[in-house]
Amino acid sequence: MSPIHTQEQFLQLIQQNKGIIYKVSRAYGKNDEDREDLFQEIIIQLWGASDRYNDQYRLSTWMYRIALNVAISFYRKERRRIESESPLTESMIEIADNSEDPELENNVHLLQQFINKLNELDKALMILYLESKSYKEIAEILGITETNVATKISRIKVQLKQKFLTIKS
Amino acid sequence: MKSIWNAYDKKLEKSLKLNMRLLEGIQKDKAKSKLNSLVSIKVFGVVIGVIWVLFLGLLIYGNHFKNVYFSTSVAMIMFFSIIAIAAYIRHIVLISQIDYTESITATQTRLAQLQVSTINSTRFVWLQLPFYTTFFWSQDWMNKDMGFWLIAFPITLLFTVMALWLYKSISPENLHKPWVKKLMMIGMEYKYALAAGELLQEIEDFKKE
Repeated sequence: MSPIHTQEQFLQLIQQNKGIIYKVSRAYGKNDEDREDLFQEIIIQLWGASDRYNDQYRLSTWMYRIALNVAISFYRKERRRIESESPLTESMIEIADNSEDPELENNVHLLQQFINKLNELDKALMILYLESKSYKEIAEILGITETNVATKISRIKVQLKQKFLTIKS
Repeated sequence: MKSIWNAYDKKLEKSLKLNMRLLEGIQKDKAKSKLNSLVSIKVFGVVIGVIWVLFLGLLIYGNHFKNVYFSTSVAMIMFFSIIAIAAYIRHIVLISQIDYTESITATQTRLAQLQVSTINSTRFVWLQLPFYTTFFWSQDWMNKDMGFWLIAFPITLLFTVMALWLYKSISPENLHKPWVKKLMMIGMEYKYALAAGELLQEIEDFKKE
């Protein structure tokens, strides 16, 4: 049974999970305009699929599946984007500038850079890991086995840690 | 890494604001979906195809089947065009059935396979090539002019061999070959299929334990 029946419920869902959508858009969008486009596209697809929510899965599984599926497809389609598309005139997302911690800013920037260098599927895996999703949920979202999730995560973690430590030292 | 990500999450929670007016507007306009851009390319193809087929139909009608070579050639070109339109319509239906709520590997495999299958369902259009060299043939020309047998007929033979070779060579298995890539630059569809083929390979590798 879908928990999203009305526009208000949908808006509330988006408000509560705006961070998820933003982080996926941030990881997959090539520039600010792409990210804004992707953010909007994910919301459109979430709204379009709201009547197809399957309560066999968690709401977060459903959201991540749509957001990541759109992001990966969107990235593919960006290569084929028609250049005459009109630019966006108004922004859907605003980030207030409250950078109190320059070290955190720097670390986040580095982490994002590393994630951006991963291929599309490893990127999805890493985002889900960093979001502290269980291996079972990651496996459900990605459609691979839990063992495969564990193996891949440990492999990517080693790579990222090494890169991180090299730069930090 | 997780602590950095969590701190980032907390920061976003405080600083990220949504433009609610735009958000409410988006819900009313699902048609703006980017998935539709893929559909619109194919719809454009169908429209152009239908116009082309109508034009060919007019040519046949205007000729009143006076010249059998002309009518047969145009009818064959029309036949291949209709098959291509049908393939495009099938793709439009399949794209509209794509379900983003399925797992990433399942949905992305379906999307990529769909794009790669474009190669299979459209490569046969090359087979119409020889008919562009036969519509001006006539019985008189064959009987009275050696030029027909020395120039026109060999050209048709050459086009037939070329068409069969292109049909056989442009296949999903040959997508990675440099000359196929060069040929692909001709059509956007092939470029998309190439990207989709690469994604399929990535998915296969990703599924391996």
